[in-house]
Amino acid sequence: MTTTFPFEAETDSDQLKTVGTGAVRIDGVDKISGAAEFVDDIDFGPGLLHAAIVESPHAYARIVSIDTTEAEEAKGVVRVVTGEDFPYKFGMYMEDRYIFAQDHVRFVGEQVAGVIARSHRQAVQAAKLIKVEYEVLEPLLDPKSAVAEDANLIHPDLDDYAHVPWFFPKADTNIAHWRKIRKGDTEKAFAEADFVLEDTYTVPRYAHCAIEPHVTVSRLDHADRLTVWTASQSPHTQRHLFAEALAPLGFTHKDVRVITPYVGGGFGGKAGVSMEILGAAMATLVKGRPVKLRFTREQEFYNTYQRQGVVAELKVGVMNDGTITAVDHKLFWDAGAYVEYGANVVNAAGLSATGPYRVPNISNDSLCIYTNLPPGGPYRGFGYSEFHFGLESHMDRIAEAIGMDPVDFRRKNAIQEGDELSYGAHMNPSGMIEAIDKVAAAIEWGVEEETDNPNTVMSKGIACFWKAPAMPPNASSASFLKFNEDGSLNITVSGMELGQGYLTVMAQIASEILTVPVEKIRVETPDTDRNPYEWQTVASHVTWSSGLAVEKAAIEARAKIFDVIHQVYGFEDESLYLENEAVRCSTDPEFVKPLRDFVIDGIQTEEGTWRGGPIIASGKFMPEFTNANSDPETGQGGHPNVHYTVGCTGVVTEIDRDTGRVWVRKAALAVDAGRAINPDLVKGQIVGGLVQGLATVLYEDMRFDEDGKLLNPNFTDYKIPTAFDIPDEVVPIIVEVPQPDGPFGARGVGEHTMIAAAPVIANAVYNAFGTRIKSMPVTQEKIAMALLEKGSG
Amino acid sequence: MVIAKEFDYQRPTTLEEATQILAGHPGSARVLAGGTDLVAWLRDDAVAPDLVVDIKAIPDLHDIKIDGDTLHLGSLVTFSDLINSPIVSEHAPLLAEMAETVASTGIRNRATLVGNICSAVPSCDAGPVLLGYDTTVHMIGPDGTRSIDINDWFVGLRETACAGDEIVSHLTMKVPVHGGVYVKLMRYAGEDLAQAAVGIVAYPGDEYRVAFGAVAPTPIRSTRIEDALRSKPLDEKLIAEVVAMVADEISPIDDIRATAAYRTRICEVMLERGLPAARERLDGTGPAYGTRLI
Repeated sequence: MTTTFPFEAETDSDQLKTVGTGAVRIDGVDKISGAAEFVDDIDFGPGLLHAAIVESPHAYARIVSIDTTEAEEAKGVVRVVTGEDFPYKFGMYMEDRYIFAQDHVRFVGEQVAGVIARSHRQAVQAAKLIKVEYEVLEPLLDPKSAVAEDANLIHPDLDDYAHVPWFFPKADTNIAHWRKIRKGDTEKAFAEADFVLEDTYTVPRYAHCAIEPHVTVSRLDHADRLTVWTASQSPHTQRHLFAEALAPLGFTHKDVRVITPYVGGGFGGKAGVSMEILGAAMATLVKGRPVKLRFTREQEFYNTYQRQGVVAELKVGVMNDGTITAVDHKLFWDAGAYVEYGANVVNAAGLSATGPYRVPNISNDSLCIYTNLPPGGPYRGFGYSEFHFGLESHMDRIAEAIGMDPVDFRRKNAIQEGDELSYGAHMNPSGMIEAIDKVAAAIEWGVEEETDNPNTVMSKGIACFWKAPAMPPNASSASFLKFNEDGSLNITVSGMELGQGYLTVMAQIASEILTVPVEKIRVETPDTDRNPYEWQTVASHVTWSSGLAVEKAAIEARAKIFDVIHQVYGFEDESLYLENEAVRCSTDPEFVKPLRDFVIDGIQTEEGTWRGGPIIASGKFMPEFTNANSDPETGQGGHPNVHYTVGCTGVVTEIDRDTGRVWVRKAALAVDAGRAINPDLVKGQIVGGLVQGLATVLYEDMRFDEDGKLLNPNFTDYKIPTAFDIPDEVVPIIVEVPQPDGPFGARGVGEHTMIAAAPVIANAVYNAFGTRIKSMPVTQEKIAMALLEKGSG
Repeated sequence: MVIAKEFDYQRPTTLEEATQILAGHPGSARVLAGGTDLVAWLRDDAVAPDLVVDIKAIPDLHDIKIDGDTLHLGSLVTFSDLINSPIVSEHAPLLAEMAETVASTGIRNRATLVGNICSAVPSCDAGPVLLGYDTTVHMIGPDGTRSIDINDWFVGLRETACAGDEIVSHLTMKVPVHGGVYVKLMRYAGEDLAQAAVGIVAYPGDEYRVAFGAVAPTPIRSTRIEDALRSKPLDEKLIAEVVAMVADEISPIDDIRATAAYRTRICEVMLERGLPAARERLDGTGPAYGTRLI
């Protein structure tokens, strides 16, 4: 049985003119010329106020008192803010977070108070004068100790917290959500399996490291209108959460406006609401004056969102012929002090922790565990990169144990259209096997590489990946489209251009249907007053979801165009088509009516009156076939994920046997894009995602001390790759098995490209030396020391 | 970026004037040259001077000069100056090899060689290289000028022989015919502080200088290894012999950048690969300066 799709999009690929081409980015000139405006570039004049935040030095403590006297009297200070000003909770999926800390602080860096002053420097100086007295409590710094029976409760009121219906918090524990999957009979399957491998893998926390730090400018005007300029992936969701959190002050949605200009990188870190609520709330206390809050690089590391750490206990059973019969995957997530967003990462991983394989018997437990570390949250890959490290390491180990080639083993078990998923629904069409074969060919799997360097060893690795968008079942996208006098188009949407090329792809979709060239289409960044709704730019879903909304708007506009022609000339709609910005008619080859002649002013009839008028249209998309309701004990019964995107990554590495240094000489990555609306942009995602993934395995690693303080909130000691550190060669491979409900068959690829980067390196290291590293990152030091130990042992 | 601390700023035009200003503010003034350390420390509240004395208006401190086999480097010579100097590339290309591993281009354009040894962090790149030469540090203070051997310069962790009211005017280095290498352990190929480093200079007559960085409170010379190498042909056996001595010569620590064990291991590897390269460079063969050995 396959899923049926109620909305079948236009996928007639043979005739495509714009879709499938590498159209030039429509934001390219803006960014290259410097015309692109970011929040920090906007000039608010001399009345602009600046905010600074007082942060907790303790991972867990009770606030005994806050003395703001001295700060209030400091030069330039306009207002001092504490938790007493805003005793309100907020949260994306679970309301467990306060604007400013109330009676307790739960991580090092948590916001305790704030200062608004006439200059940034005065705000920082005054913030140092606020005296906070704490009663220090024993923090819980790892998920395993936080689920121990006698562990302190970080949120004793957990049972009272509002949350989405697909979360299952366990009262009187530190477990904020427990996603369970029970399918088939794992106990029997393990007993009958020819080979069972069980092991534990660990993955630390990571930071997004967008070039642009989080920044907001907020202003409550004298008409009680709150406008917030933010560097954000989620303008509408931010407006919603601001309006909800500040509702006790009398705000409604119409009073709150979020404007998001260009963003200097997001990677999930600018999704939802983190520090933005501070700026929005503080501005309500200084009516008429805009307030800027711009995080430092250090704050960016410890008080926005972090990618959660995980301890993964994995057990897989196989038969001698290579058939996987059972998976038991227990994921203990270090979700941090507040899980309002991060709990859905845990949920997403729990639903999909088998990886892209056909598995009849499944037991997944994905536990969202409160710890006294910074809040976990969305990060490109949304839980999948984390569990793929262990899973894809495990797949190589099993293949070796039963004497199978790891490529053959993956091919044999690769998930295919119609296969039953862990929660009972069925797999969408996808090109898993094609991706594996193309990557294996690109890296010449099975062919040994030579090197002249006596200090190094050449090796290869392979790993597969999959991911579904993780979103509420009713997450929606919308678009408005309007023609201009010259036949050019303005499209408004509320997805964000994060560098991925979203605006260009939206223009290409409209261009394809309306035959207006991409150069004549402007797609603007969002303003929630003017642009229609978009849930968020996350989950690799906007090409698909927002693309469908734009496609529908374009189809509606086309219908209106044909209607005008029909009214004036009498041609039947079915005989009309668009070509080169003009209406043509299949029954009258001589008929040509350029769009620019009538899309604003209409068409004059023979009597001298006019028909038509401005062509405007709207489109919206909501996945009406999804359903997050499922049995809490088995996870069966719902259809929580819209579809999966699959793919495969391979590398050729050269590794120094003494220092452990890894050079990626060649990498190949195949991803099933369904249809690449802009192949150049897909290739950009492949290279960028791969490099980001390689960074998490080779260099990056958040390190905390025994008191829960982050030791490396800076690029001195948190290393992200430079141009010197990228692979010598990347072979991007686009597989296209169309997604039936996608715009022209497209599905998302943005996050997927980094998911298999970690295990592919771990596998290449093993293939070089026979040494298996089971904790990320796989740094040169870890490799060298493992080899040294092996050599002397 | 905000520096919350308020301080006065002076920009003297002679070294004498600068030392008088420093003498008038005992313990509360800091000298500003490239500022790549000082400004970061100010921002982090790691230092809190009442006065910052900018020496960049003082003439002649940018000089790079050669007189016979004596190289003169002014205290405002930056790492980029070392990389771009024809005098350095002819007489002491090891300085440029070292300079190329320091931070990034923007930092190298401001950061000074002398500032690097004045900050005297254990990982300072200049340390293991300057220790490979007969280097003299020249200072001026309220009582006049003073010179000190580089071997007496590094006193302790971030501590030097320079008194608070003294300013380094320049370095002089003896640069006879030699071959050298600077090998630096970094966590990736981008800019990084040394996790461990080895500077080796080979002189005619099987004479070597060997110094390590980032594996002790200060950059350190290993005279025991130098003695073991002296007047013997450099062969695999001799290299193995001195590599085996490394662990006893250094005292690395575990920190978030690397473990002591890894630092030790890599010092061995760097010495093993660096010695033949230094020797070959002395002979005019060997890998080009700038070639990374690890």
